[in-house]
Amino acid sequence: MRGLLDAAGIYVHVPFCLTRCGYCDFNAYAGLDHLASRYVAALLREAELAAPAWEGEEIVSVFLGGGTPTTLEVADLKALLVRLRASYAVTTDAEVTIEANPDTVDEPKLAGLREAGYSRLSMGAQSFDRSVLAALERVHQPESVVKAFRAARAVGYDNVNLDLIYGAAGETVESWERTLEEAIGLSPEHVSAYALTIEPATALGRQVSRGDTPAPDPDLQAEMFETACGLLGDAGYGHYEVSNWAKPGYECRHNLGYWERRPYVGLGAGAHAYRDGRRWWNVRPPEEYLSMVERGELPVGGSEELEPADAYLEEVFLRLRILQGIPASWVEDGRADPYLESGLLLDDDGNLIPTERGMLLLNELVLGLTAN
Amino acid sequence: MGALVDVSHIRNFCIVAHIDHGKSTLADRLLELTHAVADRDMRAQYLDRMDLERERGITIKAQAVRLTHEGYELNLIDTPGHVDFTYEVSRSLEACEGAVLLVDAAQGLEAQTLANFHLARDAGLTIVPALNKIDLPAAEPDQRAKELADLLDRDPDDILRISAKTGEGVEQLLKSVIEHVPAPVGDPEAPLRALVFDSMFDPYRGVIASVRVKDGELPSRARIFLMATGVESDAEEAGVMAPEPLPVDVLGPGEVGYLVTGLKDVHQAKVGDTITLAGKHAATEPLPGYREPKPMVWSGLFPNEGGDYSELRESLDRLKLSDSALSYEPETSQALGFGFRAGFLGLLHMDIVKERLEREFDLELIATAPNVEFHVIRGEETIVVHNPAEMPLPGTYDRVEEPIVFATVITPKEYLGAVLDLCQSRRGELVNTTFLTPERAEVHYMLPLAEIVFDFFDQLKSSTRGYASLDYEPWGYQESDVVRVDVLLHGEPVDAFSTIVHRSKAYPYGKKMTERLRELIPRQLFDVAIQAAIGSKIIARETVKAKRKDVLAKCYGGDITRKRKLLEEQKKGKARLRKVGRVDVPQEAFIAALRADEGAKKK
Repeated sequence: MRGLLDAAGIYVHVPFCLTRCGYCDFNAYAGLDHLASRYVAALLREAELAAPAWEGEEIVSVFLGGGTPTTLEVADLKALLVRLRASYAVTTDAEVTIEANPDTVDEPKLAGLREAGYSRLSMGAQSFDRSVLAALERVHQPESVVKAFRAARAVGYDNVNLDLIYGAAGETVESWERTLEEAIGLSPEHVSAYALTIEPATALGRQVSRGDTPAPDPDLQAEMFETACGLLGDAGYGHYEVSNWAKPGYECRHNLGYWERRPYVGLGAGAHAYRDGRRWWNVRPPEEYLSMVERGELPVGGSEELEPADAYLEEVFLRLRILQGIPASWVEDGRADPYLESGLLLDDDGNLIPTERGMLLLNELVLGLTAN
Repeated sequence: MGALVDVSHIRNFCIVAHIDHGKSTLADRLLELTHAVADRDMRAQYLDRMDLERERGITIKAQAVRLTHEGYELNLIDTPGHVDFTYEVSRSLEACEGAVLLVDAAQGLEAQTLANFHLARDAGLTIVPALNKIDLPAAEPDQRAKELADLLDRDPDDILRISAKTGEGVEQLLKSVIEHVPAPVGDPEAPLRALVFDSMFDPYRGVIASVRVKDGELPSRARIFLMATGVESDAEEAGVMAPEPLPVDVLGPGEVGYLVTGLKDVHQAKVGDTITLAGKHAATEPLPGYREPKPMVWSGLFPNEGGDYSELRESLDRLKLSDSALSYEPETSQALGFGFRAGFLGLLHMDIVKERLEREFDLELIATAPNVEFHVIRGEETIVVHNPAEMPLPGTYDRVEEPIVFATVITPKEYLGAVLDLCQSRRGELVNTTFLTPERAEVHYMLPLAEIVFDFFDQLKSSTRGYASLDYEPWGYQESDVVRVDVLLHGEPVDAFSTIVHRSKAYPYGKKMTERLRELIPRQLFDVAIQAAIGSKIIARETVKAKRKDVLAKCYGGDITRKRKLLEEQKKGKARLRKVGRVDVPQEAFIAALRADEGAKKK
């Protein structure tokens, strides 16, 4: 999987959700479903508009994220994939992931998705603890996750990710352990476990700043991280990125593309793209996106050319995140020493790799190693 | 103008009053009554010139204004009314023959009034007592008149009753001043001796001195000699404030006015100095009572984060031109950078300087906790310490002496217990307690100045619901078991938090500062010990536990730009940190720790 040095990916953003979760600051909206068919048409159009620039680029992964892509009709999702395959050099064995909210998929829908070519499923489970789900303002119940997961298996999905979030108000280490055990019990191929981050511009962020909800305790989250490392590791999942674990061979090829700084196409409102030291992104508001694409314009909202220092910082922090490590020669003499001594970094034959504790303090490591 | 008034028709007087007892309002009424100011030019608190004075309702600089009434020349000298400026008050009193003792008919005598009354009486002034605010519903003129009469040993009927607000009784007060205050005496033939009772710096005219001619005559243009500073200068103009400046040809004996000295630095014409003529007509003996301004309280002044040291220096240099009591020297703090250690006459003076720097010079300042001057005795040697950093290590000296003040507190008797408790808890020594009236007690205590500098005044006000008043005067130095307490971060002392306190206060201080800093110091990659120590002995300790988590949770969806920007922000924040040993501390943390006290001090 690491051999795909220049292979590109396609990210497609679907900004629709049934409800807006309290913690989410993604470009997602509830109540815009009436735009869905226009939006699908726009995605198809944008895919075509953007394609010439990517001619000859081999596409090894497609990722439909959101929002909740499964709010769209299977037929539309199928048409989208057909268009991508027609307009881009998507390899036959490409990893094609779709994010699914447990409440928006049942067996027929999952069967349809699989038949349409979505071979990998990423399910937003978040927690198996009712009170944690409530604190996150998730509307589904733990049973829906189990049900959706079993349905996925029943229709033949053999590459499923469960997303988990830890550290919400009221969650204890014990509750988190139970969530992990439930998740492991389902035996997904991949687990993402994220520490809850409070973003200021969210409902939860406002609650915290008003003092209505306590901010997550970073020490408790650190403990939960360690719990995840222990339980997932014991269950045979490899820790391959700060927040990601997979059974061998099931690492997410698409996400690795971001972290390995491989090129990617971004389609849909607010989607980001990257190639050759340049990052650009689409306009965020769905209506604005729609009207630009409908006028036949590329809906680009902004871009940046990476300066060498930017590229260096990215390379260092991304490589450290995926435990690939950075060559010691990239770091000024002596800068790594305190971290090596305090056990946050390992020197693996001239390559500096964060330890489990180091991963938890990755920002410190990145800043300490690159400070000028 | 310039016709000399007959000395017998001159009256020089001041008004002695507590803050808010109506001194400035009375001055306004006198200006009106004597038609000194046209109605359309009148404004409240006419004589208080600095914004600060008007806002705080206090007089910082003395003003002298000439009024004319029924053929008399009345010079009203408005004195500062605060304990910090006792010396300035005493010099202003020297310019007068009489004092109106103005007392709020509702509040009664306050400590400050009493202190200034004693100063006035000691200066031989004739006292014209008056109760003000008799129009207030809460006024108790009979009781207050008795209180005043007891103090002055007079008949209660002699106490005038006025309302400066409505003007009632003000004319009678003026008559009483003319009738009772003696005319000045002075020898017009003797060599010139004029007392400087105030000096200010005017950006266009240089140093302008307020003067009282004691002997001889001060011509408008003359080569003058200042006897204390030994400076000669060509004076440019003499005049009187009427109340706007009005040049005169000559100021005769007994007269009060201003002199544009031709000097450029107020330090050359200090309050209390004697002006005479240069050359062979010079007086041989200066007027008595001159004293160098002596700072009582010190504090470090530093530019706020991002502020400019050189700007602070220029501002202090300029401020000093108009404030001869201000002194300062450069100081370097590891925690706060480059700044100054400044000496002040007292806490009010310190607040005024800080506020003027912030207001007039647009600076943002950080001030360290104020401290007093300690004398460290080592054999024959006395080391003067006004910065905790200069305090020698324990065991390297014989003893330390600290300044003691003689404090007067006047309080309603129901708060007497609270006042005694407070003074006792501040290492005070009771001198005596007397009753001005059955309801009001006057308490005298010997108190270490260091205790007053701390937050005594606020405590006094809060424990007496604002009813008690305080005044104090320096008494001298006394041996004391004071120690320097250092605050250490991971073993490194943080200079800004070193302080000198009595041993009994060392632990509370250490505990307070270590706890406060524990809240303010960001977590590091290792446990940080925050300790308070006397020498090598640790007296309090807190720990900032090592941080365990600092990582972006999610990093997918392709928006790498945002993650990188977050890291760059964090990096910029890190670059602003100050290093104390291995510990990175944002300057805001130091400032917040210092400000916590300041916040508690605001009324």
